[in-house]
Amino acid sequence: MELFQAFTLLTTTPLIVVALIGLIWGILGGALPGISPSISMALLLPFTYTLAPMLAIVLLATAYIGAEYGGSIPAILIRTPGTNAAAATVLDGYEMRFQGRAGEALGISLWSGVIGGLVGLAMLILLTEPLSRLALAFRPMSYFALGILGLSVIVSLSGKSLLKGAAAAILGLMVATVGTDPNSGVGRFTFGSPELLDGIAPIFVMVGLFAVSELMTRSGVPASALGKQEPFRVRLPSLKLIMRLKRSQSIGALIGTFEGLMPGAGGSIASFLSYNEAKRWSKQPEEFGHGSPEGIAAPETSNNTVASTALIPLLSFGIPGSNSAAILLGGLLIHGLLPGPRLFEENSDIILGLYTGSFVAVVSLLIVGVLVLPVCIWLVNRPRAYLSGFIFALVLSGIYTVHTTLFDVGIVLVAGLFGYAMRFFGFPFLPAVLGVVLGGLVESNYRRSMDLSGGEHAIFLEDPIAIGLLSVAFLFVVGSLVREGREAMRAGRKMQS
Amino acid sequence: MVIAALYFAATVQIPVSTLGGAVGPHAFPTVLAFLLGIIGVSLSLRSLFARRLVHTKDHTPSESEAKPLRALGMLGIGALYIPFAWLFGYVPALFLLITAIALYERAAPSWRTATIAMGGSLLFWLLFVVVLGVRQPQSILF
Repeated sequence: MELFQAFTLLTTTPLIVVALIGLIWGILGGALPGISPSISMALLLPFTYTLAPMLAIVLLATAYIGAEYGGSIPAILIRTPGTNAAAATVLDGYEMRFQGRAGEALGISLWSGVIGGLVGLAMLILLTEPLSRLALAFRPMSYFALGILGLSVIVSLSGKSLLKGAAAAILGLMVATVGTDPNSGVGRFTFGSPELLDGIAPIFVMVGLFAVSELMTRSGVPASALGKQEPFRVRLPSLKLIMRLKRSQSIGALIGTFEGLMPGAGGSIASFLSYNEAKRWSKQPEEFGHGSPEGIAAPETSNNTVASTALIPLLSFGIPGSNSAAILLGGLLIHGLLPGPRLFEENSDIILGLYTGSFVAVVSLLIVGVLVLPVCIWLVNRPRAYLSGFIFALVLSGIYTVHTTLFDVGIVLVAGLFGYAMRFFGFPFLPAVLGVVLGGLVESNYRRSMDLSGGEHAIFLEDPIAIGLLSVAFLFVVGSLVREGREAMRAGRKMQS
Repeated sequence: MVIAALYFAATVQIPVSTLGGAVGPHAFPTVLAFLLGIIGVSLSLRSLFARRLVHTKDHTPSESEAKPLRALGMLGIGALYIPFAWLFGYVPALFLLITAIALYERAAPSWRTATIAMGGSLLFWLLFVVVLGVRQPQSILF
């Protein structure tokens, strides 16, 4: 019955056209560094006033889907994550491009984006009610523990040295403390600069660490030393590769579903956690960081799953879990629609339209991607002298759009200098990036927990979810220490012999 | 260790607030400063120990990596974009940026380079300002 209604919607309303416009707009926004999914959606808001409520919501939701996917394109091609969630894709995506396998990398991200989108949509349709209850079980202590788990996983798996990983994570957390303290309103580490009152956006750090440091590192290096030229076409994964990617995509989808439910968690944590879990469970973990297809599949499946599952708390309780979900909430409110159980009863046609439009967008990703991506590959194969200038121009223009101030451009350049130094001294980027992303979540929930307990840390031992997550985090760190110790002993024995 | 010390010095200056809750706005940064300090000491000790055991070499750039001075030059060109954008506005600053980087990356100084830089800056203006409708730096001169 509902399938028939969905078909009627497709044939009697301009739903397909609106979904495609939203998708393409979102991909464009996601592919431009600095234009986050939420900004892409916010730019569309004025157009939604004149649309019918269902079409307005579809336009915003499909832009969100497009933007979450679009972030992977510059991540793979120019080492610049278009969105926060695409940062994990840089690691293997750019490495594959470096090896002359950009078409394959883009094909894997496209395929994984579609898989993630479909899984997320299925979760949204089938499990909205039960999954929402799970989200409500999370208290501040659990969120704090979730942040610590995310950090410990990244620290223990992202480099050869646990200490260097931990130092990088703490540096990231330090950056996250800059700005106005949300609890007390006190300015921290702003040094009298009004531009720092809002803090340092994670995208500045990511673009600086990844893109600017890459431009610096490759400056003046002959093109022959920087990978091969390649055919300008996208290679969708073969059946054999699809079978290989199944495990990492399942991990990505599972983590994406879970993280989408958590207000504030979002696609970034999901993609980082998925990357590391995929590495841990992979049969070829040594390929990660050196151009592993699974290293792209896991984070891309994950953040595209989040694009749908993040709507679950929004539609069920009216809790926007991210900036993008908040824009969508704005779109609902503009049209007099209040999220919650009554939305499903009284405006079932709008919900059905949302599901149908999202489905159209996810499936169309494949077609749009196959058409658009060859042009992107052609672009990044232009002579290096001009390409470097264009990438720098794109990065600086994109960053300026966030707060329209040149101060942010300065922050990105400083982050680039730090990135270069980190690269030079062998510090991993990922823990620093995740530290910036998770800093707010970890600190605010730590302080909320302290407020709840009157300053007693024992409260973390009273919350079963927090105990579970912190125990896993502890095991990760200990496991990593043991592994590092064994490797050091092995190296010592080799030297003696 | 230096970063930890500087960060701690700035943490001490965070004003105390009655709205700060049970632990206050300085608690988390203080923990971070101490943790980074401890890690800094550990890394230094480990590095000293490792150097005594083996004569480890400092990082030397491979053939696919630029030398540090050249890398800093690239960053310097990017930094010049800030005053140029402030003085001349978006399109001229972008034109200068693309041209300077192309020349720095050993493109020949020719009309072709200038045309590509001009085309690129207009393309970005079209994309960001016209299509997306987002502001870009405006000149203080004109």
